[in-house]
Amino acid sequence: MEPMPRGLKVLNAVTGVLFVIALYLVWFYAPREAVMGEVQRVFYFHVAAGWVGALAFIVAVVAGIAYLRRGDHRWDRVGLASVEIGIVFTLINILSGSIWARPVWNTWWTWDPRLVTATVMELVYIAYVMLRQGIEDPERRARYGAIYAIVGFISVPLTFLSIRIFRTIHPVVIGSGDPTAQGAFDMTPKMLTAFMFSLLTFTFVYATLLWHRLRLEALNERVERRKIELTAGGA
Amino acid sequence: MILQQAPADTLNYMLLGYAVILGMMALFIVRLALRFRGLRRDLEWLDELERGEKR
Repeated sequence: MEPMPRGLKVLNAVTGVLFVIALYLVWFYAPREAVMGEVQRVFYFHVAAGWVGALAFIVAVVAGIAYLRRGDHRWDRVGLASVEIGIVFTLINILSGSIWARPVWNTWWTWDPRLVTATVMELVYIAYVMLRQGIEDPERRARYGAIYAIVGFISVPLTFLSIRIFRTIHPVVIGSGDPTAQGAFDMTPKMLTAFMFSLLTFTFVYATLLWHRLRLEALNERVERRKIELTAGGA
Repeated sequence: MILQQAPADTLNYMLLGYAVILGMMALFIVRLALRFRGLRRDLEWLDELERGEKR
């Protein structure tokens, strides 16, 4: 296994520093929201986690298209790595949203269009991982994975737009939302700073995790190759 | 929360929210590290196996 590249070490350090600053901004710099109180601070990382989920699935669809066009397995690795990260951050987004909803909506869960579409999106990508695990031939696995990532991507814009096209109680951060939304608030300049910084930090977190995950996948392929070589040599 | 005079006392929910967010991120990173360690061990074991076969 090659030592960790210098670029990745730098990215680790930068991401770590950004993360600490983001926590400071979210917990101490941004003011307490006048109605919801402290729980509103969950919003900064809740939205940032949702952003990483969407970004990860966008990268997966780009990787899927690139794999189908070029047949290069490195794109397949990017697709899988990105989907795995997307699943984790979408789950963080859903769970943190549920915790925020308990005091604000007085329920952990409601069948609101945003909650439903986000959960469907999560399940679509969990199914992507399960589909891959069920196919042994690497070529077929990569091809089916790429096609699935492209088709499954429809759930991403649907989730993003659900609070804009359906009647919903979920607040809209950017643009105007449904007047029946509950828990909406106007961001002060300090809140906006904390929010934008959180988005930037989570983008760095995504890039760092993707790089590590790609290295893991490269190592995994190396181990599999060695196993095949040894089996062939022993036969 | 209508007609309230002061912000609602929701500190516990905020703490729970961040425990979940940071906990899940930490879990993912630990899982990545464990997978790395397992694969490195596999590679070492395969190297030993190959050396044994050559002898």
